[in-house]
Amino acid sequence: MFRWTLVAAVWAVALWPLVLFLVYLGSPVAAVQLRQQAASWLQTAALAGAALLVIGLLLYPPVAAGLRLLGARVLAALRADRGPLLRALGELRHVETAARHGEVGRLALQRRELPLAIAHLSRALELEPENPGLRYQLGMALLAAGRMREAAGCLQQVVAADPGHAFGEALLQLGRVHLLLGDDQGAVALLRRHALEHGGSRRSHFWLASACRAAADPDGARAALQYAASPPAKNQRLTPEEGLYRARARVALWRTGAGK
Amino acid sequence: MNELLRRANAAPVTFLCALAYVTVAVLTFADTEPAIKLQNAGLMTPALVASGESWRLLTHAFLHGGIVHLLFNLSALMWIGPMLEHSLGSVRFAVLYAVTAVGAGVAVCLWADPRQAVVGGSGALFGMMGAAVAMNMRGGRDLLSFLDFQGPRQLLSLIAVNLVIGWLLPMVSNTAHIGGLLTGFLLTFFGFDPGRGPATAFTRALRAGVAALFVSLCCWCLWPVTRWDWLLRAATTTAEPARQQLLFEAAQRSGLPAPGRPDPDQGTEPDPPPPRRGR
Repeated sequence: MFRWTLVAAVWAVALWPLVLFLVYLGSPVAAVQLRQQAASWLQTAALAGAALLVIGLLLYPPVAAGLRLLGARVLAALRADRGPLLRALGELRHVETAARHGEVGRLALQRRELPLAIAHLSRALELEPENPGLRYQLGMALLAAGRMREAAGCLQQVVAADPGHAFGEALLQLGRVHLLLGDDQGAVALLRRHALEHGGSRRSHFWLASACRAAADPDGARAALQYAASPPAKNQRLTPEEGLYRARARVALWRTGAGK
Repeated sequence: MNELLRRANAAPVTFLCALAYVTVAVLTFADTEPAIKLQNAGLMTPALVASGESWRLLTHAFLHGGIVHLLFNLSALMWIGPMLEHSLGSVRFAVLYAVTAVGAGVAVCLWADPRQAVVGGSGALFGMMGAAVAMNMRGGRDLLSFLDFQGPRQLLSLIAVNLVIGWLLPMVSNTAHIGGLLTGFLLTFFGFDPGRGPATAFTRALRAGVAALFVSLCCWCLWPVTRWDWLLRAATTTAEPARQQLLFEAAQRSGLPAPGRPDPDQGTEPDPPPPRRGR
């Protein structure tokens, strides 16, 4: 989304002189007025954006945490190398194995090239259907692509075959998928089980709070939010993602009137 | 002499540029009125470019305003030019020099006063530094891995220091520097060294957009239809009275300077500000 917004912005700026020229042919005064109006709007928008940013940074915790996460993701995108993916695709031309398809799928998922990832992971599972690692990757790719029901099926099979797969991440993501599908009670059960078996995190407790709220369990939601909003231990620095979930949990607690 | 010829043979375009710098400097400095000579030789102002002298977008990059200015740019050219020409090849290097010089001129046309005169090859030299940054980004394991090495970090520091110097010195046109820097970076990043593997749809769209943006901005420099100097010229050349009135009104609305406000019947322009140059 962000990438195509950038492309659209570049094309819009490129077409702007043409627009002014066409207006000028009709009326030079209108062209000057249009340019001045656009400059004025841009200036106002920039000032308003800067003011909102400052106010958000001071008063709304998710803004600072969101900026930190955005910075981390931009850096990760700049750090992402397409070379390994191209090499893995090249290796597939010689011998087709589940491991090689799985490697292509994993690297494509890392780069958010979802159609490529889903195609290769599906082929890998055709060659090796009992591999929970490949199925987990496919479930994550389907989840990222918004194909929730298929993702739920995949992750369900992973959890059945290997309950602690990826240190409980499969169970956690299955709970999230149930929450997104509207199965609130199922999501609560899965996320509570994840918290019991794997300890939970600010992210998992934030999702648990959302599931509890949807399942009409305000006490459970408040307890989960309090866990998610708890400050980190001394000398502990939260990851950008955990920081954003903590900030969102703090705001949710304020809204429910449960204090800061 | 042999060593000089050997080095010139290794980087012919760089040495041709240097030779052009010196030759044009000798011709212009030797004149009793160097300012007029500079104007005749290719000094750039946005107003002159808009009046149809588009070649000034390129020629200003071979002129210099004084001996210190010339020596500074010459030393910078001889420092970065051979390295970059060796990496890119002579033809691409020549294209890089020309396009970044035009990019620097375009930036001046977009943001500077229409009467602001600009000379110097520093916009193109900044373009070379931008190209070097792009090549470093493309050459590594990923786009930021070049920051692990001292050389590229020093290059970034050098760019930053030169931009700060440009901001501090009023006679330096930092607009041209930034325009050249961005043009050189984008040309190399998307054109000369587009990365490994087949281009994705996003990359193709962005590359086409950047090319369209450059062409569009060049066209804007030639036909800046909402700038007062262009409107004034259009008003004085049009024969239709109603249209002439509209153009005068548009020129006044677009910020025609008050002190030397011209008489519409005579079409004279206000006095220009003093010339600016590269480093």
